[in-house]
Amino acid sequence: MRGTLLYIGQRLVLIAITTVLVSSIVFVLLHQIPGNAFLNETRTSPESLAADLRHYGLDKPLGTQYVNWVSGVLHGNLGESLVNRGVMITPLLVREASVSATVGFFALLVTVGLGLILGVIAALRQNTWADYVASSAAVVGYSVPSFVIGIFFLLIFGHYFFEWTQGTVFYNVGWGDWTQIPVPAIALGLPYASYVARLTRASMLETIRTDYVRTAWAKGLKARIVVLRHALRNALIPVVTILGPLITGIITGSVVIENIFGIPGLGKEFVTSILARDYNIVIGVFTFYAALVGLANLTVDVIYPALDPRIRY
Amino acid sequence: MRRIAVFRSLAVALGAVSMVAACGGGGGNNSSNLAADQTLSFPMVDDVGNTDPAHMSAAVDIDIFRNSYSGLYKFDDQLNEVPDIATGAPTVSTDGLTYTYKIKQNVKFWNGDPVKADDFIFSWNRAAAIQGDYASLLQPVQGYDDVAAGKATQMTGLKKVDDYTFSATLTAPAGYWYTENALWTLWVVDQKVVLAAGKATDSTWADNPATAVGTGQFKMTARTPKQSLDFAPVPNWYGGSTGTITKVHIEIVADQKAQLTKYESGGYSLIGFANQSLTPEDVIRYNSDSQLKKQLTLQPSARTSWIGFNFCTGKAQPTKSCTTSSVFAGDAGKPLREAFSLAIDRDQLIDIACSKGTACVKATGGVITKGLKGYLGDNTDPWAKFDKAQAQQLLQSAGGAAKVGNLTYTYNANAQNKAVCDNLASQWKANLGVTVQCASTDRASFFNARTKCAYPIFRHSWGADYDHPQDWFDFLFVTDAGSSGSCYSNPQIDSMEKDANQKPLSNSLDTYKAMNKILVDNCVTGNLFYGIQQYLVHPYVQGAGGNALYDNYWADVKILQHS
Repeated sequence: MRGTLLYIGQRLVLIAITTVLVSSIVFVLLHQIPGNAFLNETRTSPESLAADLRHYGLDKPLGTQYVNWVSGVLHGNLGESLVNRGVMITPLLVREASVSATVGFFALLVTVGLGLILGVIAALRQNTWADYVASSAAVVGYSVPSFVIGIFFLLIFGHYFFEWTQGTVFYNVGWGDWTQIPVPAIALGLPYASYVARLTRASMLETIRTDYVRTAWAKGLKARIVVLRHALRNALIPVVTILGPLITGIITGSVVIENIFGIPGLGKEFVTSILARDYNIVIGVFTFYAALVGLANLTVDVIYPALDPRIRY
Repeated sequence: MRRIAVFRSLAVALGAVSMVAACGGGGGNNSSNLAADQTLSFPMVDDVGNTDPAHMSAAVDIDIFRNSYSGLYKFDDQLNEVPDIATGAPTVSTDGLTYTYKIKQNVKFWNGDPVKADDFIFSWNRAAAIQGDYASLLQPVQGYDDVAAGKATQMTGLKKVDDYTFSATLTAPAGYWYTENALWTLWVVDQKVVLAAGKATDSTWADNPATAVGTGQFKMTARTPKQSLDFAPVPNWYGGSTGTITKVHIEIVADQKAQLTKYESGGYSLIGFANQSLTPEDVIRYNSDSQLKKQLTLQPSARTSWIGFNFCTGKAQPTKSCTTSSVFAGDAGKPLREAFSLAIDRDQLIDIACSKGTACVKATGGVITKGLKGYLGDNTDPWAKFDKAQAQQLLQSAGGAAKVGNLTYTYNANAQNKAVCDNLASQWKANLGVTVQCASTDRASFFNARTKCAYPIFRHSWGADYDHPQDWFDFLFVTDAGSSGSCYSNPQIDSMEKDANQKPLSNSLDTYKAMNKILVDNCVTGNLFYGIQQYLVHPYVQGAGGNALYDNYWADVKILQHS
């Protein structure tokens, strides 16, 4: 236990260093790009441009800006949006992160739930129609990018369902109630579910042929016990291994899905803030993502010992 | 049997994960022909940029907040300037320098505070001090420069006469000043509220629905940045009726397809308010279907797009921003400019790049948009016609394709600009034998470089801020104009502009037109097309739409009964 806590502590320090490094690099690189958020095709006088730069401290030397930024971060203040004046970034990102986390959580449920179910079915019914259907579905799901699935779902659930059901049941674009979660969550989780399904099938096929599973069947245990407790638990180890990269994939995948479905999350912010050259938000989002990816990988590493007692820190 | 039980539970789980359900509802009925639910809803691709009138510059912001703020004057549907909070037109001194305004005595902010002369003086001083993009609207007022430079907090030209009368004294006669009086930077804000929230120049009050206090018919009731905005009519509004709309709900949805999907399922009343548009394929679909077309209105808008030519000569540069030299510059470059303009079949361009004429129409009457004061008239631009033979002749007279060399047309990346460039390049290749590369760059980099006249040939456009030619010449065509991009300089234009700006528009319009004619005669801009604002509105929504500059006020909109 002490070893595990020490390991977690070391990893947290590393994550903190990585996050600071990532955000510093982004900070420096962003400020090297010519142009700024205030240039547009309306009247922009040198005086008004100077006033904007002064307001945001962008008229100061880069080193001073960096020190000010770090100081702000240490106080939990990521600054003010350059494009949407008056909008403070910290509460904005926290709210958007909670939206993305909600979609991401359900997408992860789809990924793991659907992937495991299809993988187990395919393994238990190897070389039957169920296996072929599940495996083919997995290949299709894995081959189609999430933005294609997103647009397809938007058309099916947002447009055709409305027509077929005369407006009774359909996907309502936007964000605000629980009915708006499933469609984007499935669109986001489906490609990764296919990946999990393929991995689970392969892992299950290997596990169900082991002696201890055969013994379990021979003892007359219920199928549910044999499959879920004996076979699946061990088959899960390779699946958990890819959970870290999967979470990262879901985070980056949300960039597209949130745009398509009009979800006010971090993914949408990621795109719009870069295009609008809203430095403060871009740095904030990058910092947030860097920390999130680090924590996701750490979580996966901590889960390992629970599944495989041979792993110790 | 055991395995079947496992499969059954897995199937149930699968079904649960895949479950999708959502409900929609239409408006109810009542005894009149109005729907019970009078919610006006529409989407925007991005959030408003500024909620403080002193900072506003984007058309999106102005179209939204002109419903919750107001000033001395406003523009009616025909863009005529009419009194709003003022009792009538200002009294102007004989030297044309002092404008005296009387304001209505019953005007109140939505929080009940009365609007007095002090509020206007505070608001105008504040706007000058903040130096937002449009603070220069106040430049004609005496003492503006000191306030803008931070040396003073009050413009000496603003004087309170009594609680409901004040005057503005200008440094020099400015015929456009009265027009500027109707613009957003000069809207009135509640000084009590602003000062209670912080310094006069702070803007945090404007982002908070509780303190975003204005004099318009609607007030902001909720704001979730980058997600949604809500407004409601002001109870007992001083001006009387606020119409039938009981709520305005605006959603930020970045994807235009998603917007349309929600519109088609009844989730939005309309698309098009706040300067929004449809995707090219969707607008063509609606425009080409006789039934769907009834929902689509194509309103000419006050924007012109043109090919910008660089006028930097390399020596004895025409303006201080010049750092390069261009084949298009000066008299020597005139045949090339003419050749490049004549070589464009604008009908083909409009068909391809303007979604078959649903996003723009060809520009044949000069750089000032059709419908605005200063427009020269249809087919008055001789270089806006397609004449391949003359174009080739002009190119040869200028030294042929070799003289042009490797040319790159630069634009800020978006779908329409790309389509325009691709088409221009193909037409120049086909009609002139000149190879032009298309180069796209992001918005900020593009404007940064264009401001420094860095591109030899480039995309340019201008959306009028108000219906006065001064808005075009002061910022685009006088020497060292801030938004020029081409570094054009013509002493004759400078002199005429100075003279025209001092006179009322009724006396200066001919001068402005003559200036526009000079631009046309010299082919300073390769005029391409005038803009169109698209409004997609359900048949049960009445009163939505707009004019060349603004959307209709929300108070003009009604939601009729529908299923």
